[in-house]
Amino acid sequence: MKDKPNKIKESAADYAAKIFTSKKDFHKEQAKLPIEEKIKILIELQKIVLKTQKQEPGERLRQVWKI
Amino acid sequence: MKKTLQIIDRMHKEGLFKKYAIGGGIASLFYIEPIATFDLDIFVVLPESEEVLLSLSPLYDWLREKKYKLVKEHIVIEGIPVQFIPVYNELVKEAVLKAVRKKYEGISTFVLKPEYLMAIMLDTNRAKDRERIIKMSDEAEISADVLKKILTAHGLITAYNDFIKKFYER
Repeated sequence: MKDKPNKIKESAADYAAKIFTSKKDFHKEQAKLPIEEKIKILIELQKIVLKTQKQEPGERLRQVWKI
Repeated sequence: MKKTLQIIDRMHKEGLFKKYAIGGGIASLFYIEPIATFDLDIFVVLPESEEVLLSLSPLYDWLREKKYKLVKEHIVIEGIPVQFIPVYNELVKEAVLKAVRKKYEGISTFVLKPEYLMAIMLDTNRAKDRERIIKMSDEAEISADVLKKILTAHGLITAYNDFIKKFYER
Protein backbone atom coordinates (compact mmCIF):
# COMPACT_ATOMS: atom_id res chain seq x y z
CA MET A 1 0.00 0.00 0.00
CA LYS A 2 2.91 2.28 0.75
CA ASP A 3 4.06 2.47 -2.85
CA LYS A 4 0.66 3.50 -4.22
CA PRO A 5 1.34 7.28 -4.30
CA ASN A 6 4.51 6.62 -6.30
CA LYS A 7 2.60 4.46 -8.75
CA ILE A 8 0.00 7.17 -9.16
CA LYS A 9 2.76 9.71 -9.64
CA GLU A 10 4.42 7.52 -12.27
CA SER A 11 1.24 6.91 -14.17
CA ALA A 12 0.39 10.64 -14.12
CA ALA A 13 3.84 11.38 -15.54
CA ASP A 14 3.35 8.71 -18.21
CA TYR A 15 -0.05 10.12 -19.03
CA ALA A 16 1.35 13.64 -19.33
CA ALA A 17 4.19 12.35 -21.52
CA LYS A 18 1.66 10.65 -23.80
CA ILE A 19 -0.32 13.90 -24.09
CA PHE A 20 2.81 15.89 -24.94
CA THR A 21 3.82 13.32 -27.58
CA SER A 22 0.38 13.28 -29.12
CA LYS A 23 0.35 17.11 -29.19
CA LYS A 24 3.72 17.13 -30.94
CA ASP A 25 2.44 14.57 -33.47
CA PHE A 26 -0.66 16.68 -34.06
CA HIS A 27 1.44 19.80 -34.80
CA LYS A 28 3.60 17.77 -37.19
CA GLU A 29 0.51 16.47 -38.97
CA GLN A 30 -0.90 20.00 -39.24
CA ALA A 31 2.42 21.09 -40.76
CA LYS A 32 1.88 18.56 -43.57
CA LEU A 33 -1.49 20.03 -44.64
CA PRO A 34 -1.65 21.49 -48.15
CA ILE A 35 -0.93 25.24 -48.18
CA GLU A 36 -4.47 25.95 -49.43
CA GLU A 37 -5.89 24.28 -46.29
CA LYS A 38 -3.44 26.20 -44.10
CA ILE A 39 -4.56 29.51 -45.60
CA LYS A 40 -8.19 28.64 -44.77
CA ILE A 41 -7.14 27.95 -41.16
CA LEU A 42 -5.07 31.16 -41.13
CA ILE A 43 -8.17 33.19 -42.01
CA GLU A 44 -10.09 31.59 -39.13
CA LEU A 45 -7.14 32.42 -36.82
CA GLN A 46 -7.17 36.02 -38.05
CA LYS A 47 -10.89 36.27 -37.16
CA ILE A 48 -10.23 34.89 -33.66
CA VAL A 49 -7.30 37.24 -33.03
CA LEU A 50 -9.24 40.31 -34.16
CA LYS A 51 -12.24 39.31 -32.02
CA THR A 52 -10.17 38.75 -28.91
CA GLN A 53 -7.44 41.40 -29.18
CA LYS A 54 -7.99 45.15 -29.39
CA GLN A 55 -6.15 46.91 -32.17
CA GLU A 56 -4.09 49.75 -30.73
CA PRO A 57 -3.88 53.08 -32.56
CA GLY A 58 -0.73 53.27 -34.67
CA GLU A 59 -0.44 49.50 -34.77
CA ARG A 60 0.35 47.68 -38.02
CA LEU A 61 -2.56 46.94 -40.31
CA ARG A 62 -4.45 43.86 -39.15
CA GLN A 63 -7.43 42.74 -41.19
CA VAL A 64 -9.00 39.45 -42.11
CA TRP A 65 -7.92 38.56 -45.62
CA LYS A 66 -10.74 39.06 -48.10
CA ILE A 67 -10.06 36.23 -50.48
CA MET B 1 -4.43 34.80 -52.36
CA LYS B 2 -4.41 33.30 -55.86
CA LYS B 3 -5.19 36.69 -57.45
CA THR B 4 -2.62 38.43 -55.22
CA LEU B 5 0.09 36.00 -56.32
CA GLN B 6 -0.91 36.47 -59.96
CA ILE B 7 -0.50 40.26 -59.62
CA ILE B 8 2.91 39.86 -57.96
CA ASP B 9 4.03 37.50 -60.70
CA ARG B 10 2.84 39.98 -63.33
CA MET B 11 4.90 42.71 -61.65
CA HIS B 12 7.91 40.42 -61.86
CA LYS B 13 7.30 39.68 -65.54
CA GLU B 14 6.96 43.41 -66.26
CA GLY B 15 10.41 43.98 -64.72
CA LEU B 16 9.42 45.92 -61.60
CA PHE B 17 11.77 43.64 -59.68
CA LYS B 18 14.39 41.19 -60.84
CA LYS B 19 13.51 38.41 -58.42
CA TYR B 20 11.06 37.94 -55.57
CA ALA B 21 10.12 35.45 -52.90
CA ILE B 22 7.53 35.12 -50.17
CA GLY B 23 9.14 35.50 -46.76
CA GLY B 24 7.99 36.02 -43.16
CA GLY B 25 5.03 34.26 -41.57
CA ILE B 26 3.42 33.16 -44.84
CA ALA B 27 6.64 31.52 -46.02
CA SER B 28 6.75 29.68 -42.68
CA LEU B 29 3.22 28.41 -43.35
CA PHE B 30 4.57 26.36 -46.23
CA TYR B 31 6.63 24.35 -43.70
CA ILE B 32 4.88 24.48 -40.31
CA GLU B 33 1.35 24.34 -38.90
CA PRO B 34 -0.81 27.45 -39.39
CA ILE B 35 0.09 30.45 -37.23
CA ALA B 36 -1.72 33.78 -37.01
CA THR B 37 -0.22 36.42 -39.26
CA PHE B 38 -1.78 39.32 -41.14
CA ASP B 39 0.53 40.35 -43.92
CA LEU B 40 2.21 38.88 -46.93
CA ASP B 41 5.89 39.82 -47.00
CA ILE B 42 7.47 39.85 -50.43
CA PHE B 43 11.24 40.21 -50.53
CA VAL B 44 12.36 41.76 -53.81
CA VAL B 45 15.63 42.18 -55.64
CA LEU B 46 15.12 45.53 -57.33
CA PRO B 47 16.54 46.56 -60.71
CA GLU B 48 19.93 48.28 -60.37
CA SER B 49 19.52 51.81 -59.10
CA GLU B 50 21.57 54.33 -57.17
CA GLU B 51 18.67 55.20 -54.88
CA VAL B 52 17.01 52.22 -53.22
CA LEU B 53 14.07 54.26 -51.96
CA LEU B 54 13.48 55.79 -55.36
CA SER B 55 13.53 52.41 -57.04
CA LEU B 56 10.55 51.23 -54.92
CA SER B 57 8.46 54.06 -56.40
CA PRO B 58 7.76 52.44 -59.80
CA LEU B 59 6.46 49.41 -57.98
CA TYR B 60 4.00 51.40 -55.87
CA ASP B 61 3.07 53.65 -58.83
CA TRP B 62 2.22 50.56 -60.88
CA LEU B 63 -0.02 49.24 -58.09
CA ARG B 64 -1.70 52.60 -57.51
CA GLU B 65 -2.46 52.79 -61.24
CA LYS B 66 -4.30 49.50 -60.82
CA LYS B 67 -6.30 51.13 -57.98
CA TYR B 68 -4.73 49.14 -55.15
CA LYS B 69 -4.75 51.17 -51.95
CA LEU B 70 -1.85 52.00 -49.70
CA VAL B 71 -2.91 51.43 -46.07
CA LYS B 72 -0.31 52.27 -43.43
CA GLU B 73 2.86 50.46 -44.50
CA HIS B 74 1.02 47.94 -46.70
CA ILE B 75 -0.52 47.92 -50.10
CA VAL B 76 -3.71 45.90 -50.19
CA ILE B 77 -3.69 43.65 -53.26
CA GLU B 78 -6.87 41.67 -53.88
CA GLY B 79 -7.83 41.74 -50.20
CA ILE B 80 -4.40 40.93 -48.76
CA PRO B 81 -2.09 43.49 -47.11
CA VAL B 82 1.25 43.09 -48.87
CA GLN B 83 4.59 44.54 -47.86
CA PHE B 84 7.40 44.72 -50.39
CA ILE B 85 10.78 44.56 -48.69
CA PRO B 86 13.92 45.19 -50.75
CA VAL B 87 16.66 42.70 -49.89
CA TYR B 88 18.52 44.50 -47.11
CA ASN B 89 21.60 42.34 -46.57
CA GLU B 90 23.59 39.55 -48.21
CA LEU B 91 21.74 36.82 -46.32
CA VAL B 92 18.30 37.99 -47.48
CA LYS B 93 19.57 38.54 -51.04
CA GLU B 94 21.01 35.02 -51.20
CA ALA B 95 17.78 33.64 -49.70
CA VAL B 96 15.70 35.27 -52.45
CA LEU B 97 18.06 34.17 -55.22
CA LYS B 98 17.86 30.59 -53.96
CA ALA B 99 14.10 30.60 -53.28
CA VAL B 100 12.12 27.56 -54.40
CA ARG B 101 9.11 27.38 -56.65
CA LYS B 102 5.87 26.43 -54.89
CA LYS B 103 2.30 26.24 -56.10
CA TYR B 104 -0.81 27.75 -54.58
CA GLU B 105 -4.08 26.79 -56.26
CA GLY B 106 -2.10 26.01 -59.41
CA ILE B 107 -0.29 29.36 -59.40
CA SER B 108 3.49 29.16 -59.35
CA THR B 109 5.32 31.41 -56.89
CA PHE B 110 8.66 31.63 -55.09
CA VAL B 111 9.09 30.89 -51.40
CA LEU B 112 12.19 31.13 -49.20
CA LYS B 113 13.74 27.79 -48.27
CA PRO B 114 13.17 26.73 -44.64
CA GLU B 115 16.90 26.87 -43.80
CA TYR B 116 17.12 30.48 -45.04
CA LEU B 117 13.94 31.39 -43.17
CA MET B 118 15.51 30.06 -39.96
CA ALA B 119 18.73 31.99 -40.57
CA ILE B 120 16.80 35.22 -41.23
CA MET B 121 14.71 34.70 -38.08
CA LEU B 122 17.87 34.14 -36.08
CA ASP B 123 19.37 37.30 -37.55
CA THR B 124 16.23 39.37 -36.89
CA ASN B 125 15.78 37.80 -33.45
CA ARG B 126 12.47 39.31 -32.32
CA ALA B 127 10.33 37.34 -29.83
CA LYS B 128 8.10 36.03 -32.64
CA ASP B 129 11.18 34.99 -34.63
CA ARG B 130 12.48 32.93 -31.70
CA GLU B 131 9.06 31.29 -31.36
CA ARG B 132 9.03 30.45 -35.08
CA ILE B 133 12.58 29.04 -35.03
CA ILE B 134 11.39 26.53 -32.44
CA LYS B 135 8.36 25.61 -34.57
CA MET B 136 10.53 25.30 -37.67
CA SER B 137 12.99 23.06 -35.80
CA ASP B 138 10.16 20.86 -34.51
CA GLU B 139 7.88 20.67 -37.55
CA ALA B 140 9.73 21.50 -40.78
CA GLU B 141 12.06 19.26 -42.73
CA ILE B 142 15.34 21.08 -42.25
CA SER B 143 18.63 19.96 -43.76
CA ALA B 144 21.15 20.30 -40.93
CA ASP B 145 24.01 20.53 -43.44
CA VAL B 146 22.38 23.28 -45.51
CA LEU B 147 21.46 25.22 -42.38
CA LYS B 148 24.99 24.94 -40.97
CA LYS B 149 26.52 26.18 -44.25
CA ILE B 150 24.22 29.21 -44.35
CA LEU B 151 24.78 30.06 -40.69
CA THR B 152 28.55 29.74 -41.05
CA ALA B 153 28.67 31.84 -44.23
CA HIS B 154 26.70 34.66 -42.60
CA GLY B 155 28.34 34.64 -39.17
CA LEU B 156 25.32 33.24 -37.34
CA ILE B 157 26.63 29.90 -36.11
CA THR B 158 27.44 31.13 -32.58
CA ALA B 159 24.03 32.76 -32.28
CA TYR B 160 22.43 29.47 -33.37
CA ASN B 161 24.44 27.37 -30.92
CA ASP B 162 23.49 29.78 -28.12
CA PHE B 163 19.85 29.52 -29.16
CA ILE B 164 19.93 25.71 -29.08
CA LYS B 165 21.62 25.74 -25.67
CA LYS B 166 19.05 28.13 -24.29
CA PHE B 167 15.91 26.47 -25.64
CA TYR B 168 16.76 22.80 -26.14
CA GLU B 169 19.40 21.74 -23.64
CA ARG B 170 18.52 21.08 -20.02
